[in-house]
Amino acid sequence: MKYDFVVIGAGVSGLSTAIILAQNGYHVALVEKAKKPAPLIRGFTRKGVYFDSGFHYTGSLGDGEILDALFQYLGLSDRLEKVPFDPDGFDLIRCQEEGFELRFPYGYERIRERLLEAFPLESSAINEYLQTVKDTFNSFPYLNLNPDFLDSGAPKGLHGPSLKDFLDRLTTNAALKWVLSVHCLLHGVPPEEVPLAFHACIAGSYYESVHGIKGGGRSLTKAYESQLEKLDVDVYCGQGVSEIIFSPDTSPAGIRLQDGKTLNCRGCISTVHPIELLNLVPTSAFRPAFRKRLFQLEETISAYILYIASRAVPEMLIRNNLVMTSDWNLTGLWENNPLNSRPLYVCGSLPEDSKVTKSGLIGIVPASRNDTEPWSQSISGKRPLEYYQFKEKIAFKLRQHMERSIPELAGNIEHAECATSLTLRDFTHNPFGSMYGVKHKIGQYNPLPLTKAKNLYLAGQAIVAPGIMGAIISAFLVCGFIIGHKQLLKQIQKYR
Amino acid sequence: MTDQEIIGLINTSLAEEFELSSDSMKPEALIFDDLELDSLDIVDMVVVLENAFQFKIREDDSIQKIRALGDIHDFVINKKKELNN
Repeated sequence: MKYDFVVIGAGVSGLSTAIILAQNGYHVALVEKAKKPAPLIRGFTRKGVYFDSGFHYTGSLGDGEILDALFQYLGLSDRLEKVPFDPDGFDLIRCQEEGFELRFPYGYERIRERLLEAFPLESSAINEYLQTVKDTFNSFPYLNLNPDFLDSGAPKGLHGPSLKDFLDRLTTNAALKWVLSVHCLLHGVPPEEVPLAFHACIAGSYYESVHGIKGGGRSLTKAYESQLEKLDVDVYCGQGVSEIIFSPDTSPAGIRLQDGKTLNCRGCISTVHPIELLNLVPTSAFRPAFRKRLFQLEETISAYILYIASRAVPEMLIRNNLVMTSDWNLTGLWENNPLNSRPLYVCGSLPEDSKVTKSGLIGIVPASRNDTEPWSQSISGKRPLEYYQFKEKIAFKLRQHMERSIPELAGNIEHAECATSLTLRDFTHNPFGSMYGVKHKIGQYNPLPLTKAKNLYLAGQAIVAPGIMGAIISAFLVCGFIIGHKQLLKQIQKYR
Repeated sequence: MTDQEIIGLINTSLAEEFELSSDSMKPEALIFDDLELDSLDIVDMVVVLENAFQFKIREDDSIQKIRALGDIHDFVINKKKELNN
């Protein structure tokens, strides 16, 4: 049996790519190294408490907004119940040492009003910033469904200015700059490195609207799985790809799984980390220039993540997340600061069953993967004692950091468990255990969906952007090259 | 660096990174037609030049006008001069 396409990696990019291609009549196989699809957004359960490990909220899922249209196109919407976050404040942002706090609302008008209340003398900076974010967001292909935007200046905007340079031009107010940069934590690239255009595409989606999903990432995963079944996509789990087999004309002829089994195909879409791709293809598939470029790609920060089972959901985390930093300065995102002065992001989960009273809370602080380097060769579950002692120490400090920030937590914590960059590496199969994969930074040239090898395409967070939205857009973008962009955009327009 | 050294470094870097024969590295060689590179290779070319000369090219308007290998030579020579001033 020969497939039209084999999609490598069943994260959100791979799942979406497989569905789009299958809906367009292609015979598709989806291959995933983990035992089940979507290992990150599926979340996990410990002692009866669900932790939504990869899905914390998403932007642009309101009725008629772009992600809503894409979910409908993918056939996911009927199986999902959207839960709007609080329009008056989806994030509580707090700058500890400055004693500053602001509930960040969604909807451009609400944001404008809130910012003007806090910074009455900064109306021109606020207006220009918001207008620029909105215009930039609306000019990117597939965020805007008008085919005229296919050749818009997207790659150009991705070279600058940086968010920091742009804000420095608008205002000297350190607090306002902090408010408008704090969502860098949602893509992992600090303000001095991130192109304004890229930041606008991520932050801009949350400015439109913010939603969770009832049952969280697990519900989303189930919706994907049902749709794959309906579309007869063959899903192979628990086996990584060991090799992409090339035909003499240098296009993929199939893939070989780790157990030796082969799947024949005429094309491949790789959604794995670009470095991993190089391990799957013969050296001759790409020229040295491209291989070197992939090797040089800089990675986003890693993180320590604390999973807390709490007896009650703290009021401040109901349909609202917490973003906290120590002072106004976000340079480098502070991965090397003492733990209790690093930025902290806390979110809860939205249980499927309303009778569930225990809450799985997640606290995340940036971390360097160098911290766990001494144990990087060890195997999950069999690491040396020193590693577990190190993890205990981190868990203790992170717990203290969280209890100080959310006083309601004190006395309610049932148990807590910590993840490091090694956990991230092994769960998400990102070779570096970073939070958001390859950085999207000024001066770095991330790979495109097309490669020099005929019918070998790329999708995933390194190609477009991280997050549910970035992953899904990358799927549509790559499928646009296969199906035809105009045709695909026309199909999506029906849902908008 | 003299202009000749710059040209030499461009030619060896591009020949090595794109697996081109050194005989084909003539100033009049057209990037697309003679060296058989395409639009996907252009980004790789930018990165090769950035690495070889330790400067950032980004969106320099003059890079859009490049058609032949000689245009790359001129572009880098001018860029080096600009940076030295």
